[in-house]
Amino acid sequence: MQEKSISTANLEQCLKCNLCTLVCPMLAVNEQYPGPKKAGPDGERYRIKDPEYYDYALKYCLNCKRCEVACPSGVKIGDMIQTARIKYGSQSKIRGLHGLRDWTLASTDFVGGMTASPIAPVANAVLKTGVAKAVLHGTLGVDRHRTFPAYSSEKFENWFRKEALEAQAGFEKKVSFFHGCYANYNYPQLGKDFVKVVNAAGYGVELLEREKCCGIALMSNGFAAKAAKQGRINLESIRKAAGPVLTVSSSCTHMMREEYPEVLGLPNEDVKDRIMLLSRWLYPRLESGEVKLNFRKDFHMKVAYHTSCHMQRMGWQEFTLGILRKIPGLELTVLEPYCCGISGTFGFKKENYGYSQKIGELLFSEIREAKAKAGDSAPFVVATECETCKWQIEMSTGITVMNPVSIIAQALDSE
Amino acid sequence: MTYDIIVIGGGLAGCTAADVLAGAGKKVALFAEGLSLHDATEGPASPKAQARSPYSALSALSAKGVTVFRGDSIVKADLSDDGSHVVRVFSRNLGDEPLVAGAFVLATGKFFSRGIISYMGGVFEPVFDADVEFEPDHGKWFDTDFFAPQPYERFGVRTDEAGRVIKGGIIIDNLYAAGQVLAGEPLSDEGIESSGRAAAMEIMKKW
Repeated sequence: MQEKSISTANLEQCLKCNLCTLVCPMLAVNEQYPGPKKAGPDGERYRIKDPEYYDYALKYCLNCKRCEVACPSGVKIGDMIQTARIKYGSQSKIRGLHGLRDWTLASTDFVGGMTASPIAPVANAVLKTGVAKAVLHGTLGVDRHRTFPAYSSEKFENWFRKEALEAQAGFEKKVSFFHGCYANYNYPQLGKDFVKVVNAAGYGVELLEREKCCGIALMSNGFAAKAAKQGRINLESIRKAAGPVLTVSSSCTHMMREEYPEVLGLPNEDVKDRIMLLSRWLYPRLESGEVKLNFRKDFHMKVAYHTSCHMQRMGWQEFTLGILRKIPGLELTVLEPYCCGISGTFGFKKENYGYSQKIGELLFSEIREAKAKAGDSAPFVVATECETCKWQIEMSTGITVMNPVSIIAQALDSE
Repeated sequence: MTYDIIVIGGGLAGCTAADVLAGAGKKVALFAEGLSLHDATEGPASPKAQARSPYSALSALSAKGVTVFRGDSIVKADLSDDGSHVVRVFSRNLGDEPLVAGAFVLATGKFFSRGIISYMGGVFEPVFDADVEFEPDHGKWFDTDFFAPQPYERFGVRTDEAGRVIKGGIIIDNLYAAGQVLAGEPLSDEGIESSGRAAAMEIMKKW
């Protein structure tokens, strides 16, 4: 008897039950997309026979992995679709203006490294103008409804070396921090909040020897070879770091743990268990009493938690919720885990904008309902570990979205 | 993570047991590997929930305060030294985080959902390695008449009269089986629901 699947991603385990088809957010709004079963295990059987069967409609896959969460047979449907896109789709060619756009959206390190500098205020102001948006929409095809996340005038890494590094020497126990592009280039406050929480827990923070963008945007925009190159650099640095390597973004975490080996072919078995979100590391330590955090008595906030797609796939939301529940004065509701629709850079492209907003509507209406129910006796925020969900929810509902790490940092009693 | 009761399996039996227990004020966690076929096709709950999410039964349980782990499954269990008590279990996604509860419900279904798994030499239950009732002669598993009741449909875990799972002849005193994972006549939907309810009632009597 066949003990194990001979193909990758458990192809043979598919029973054709179609539960994945039922939960696919893209299929619900776009009939050109074949759906996870046809794009994944069904299509794969044909592609193995002849790569000519590759269907370019696979570009519509959001890589949300909701098909994998729904699959009762452990078939890695989303991984299979991503792998097919890399193997059979067109790769690594910057063709025309849309190719240039995809490259620009995907190259977070290059663009962020250039922009997160003293020129940031100018760049931010220009990108916000109607003229710039119209130009980007008309030429590159970046949808005019989108605002680029503002760039910071100082990178987190620079702040850390100048302002925080010295104090870290005072801690006997250390953790490493993979800050990710968003905390580094756009919103260093998130990195500062991370340092505050970890220090309050009695641990020092170290940066990795070298950190590159995890590569998720490169991978989904067809630059897999570049993504793998960055992945190798990150894994190399993580191997050199001794203890846990903690993160604040669910998508970077999922990429490094799951997609490096499954999609990019980068083995990470030796370090995988050390790569995790801050809450995954912190919650068990709070429970065991090894770490104690003192929270303010006067903290008041109403928080609606949104489980991002990659958080849902990792299944770690209870670690975050468990910590939030310990904060006095924090009133927590958990939203039905719908996809917000943006899927990283996908929703920035003008041809995808309509799909993104249609998919997100279920979540947006949940959020509006939660806000109406919450009243205004305390500030209402949505909490999620994903930065692109944050942009999407803020743009579409006007409601503030915070990373749970920042909420914990704000609730800390720093006296 | 600590709960009053952990339900393993998010099908009709597991959801019914979790619903009854949560209704009685218990702190319940439920692990649902994948969306259940029953939830997808029959999903009760409100018409609004039905229209919005295929996870209608699981969403309704979340609203009742059950902690639902979607797409996660229990992969390992620690029993007490004498084998008569489940101390803690571990899930695929939560890794080394111990999941502790007073009582556990095993509602993982039959072959389709891999609640029991067959191979040429026999049939086993993958989470606890509980005792499974099955026909040892592989030749007698099937009736060649396709439409006749199939003997393999009766395979399942062995329990005592209170529905507690037996392993190596020893009754595990806080592990209750419900639904299709049970040995015996295949159950109708009503039968599955009532076995879920029965497990919940037994648990409330003792735990």
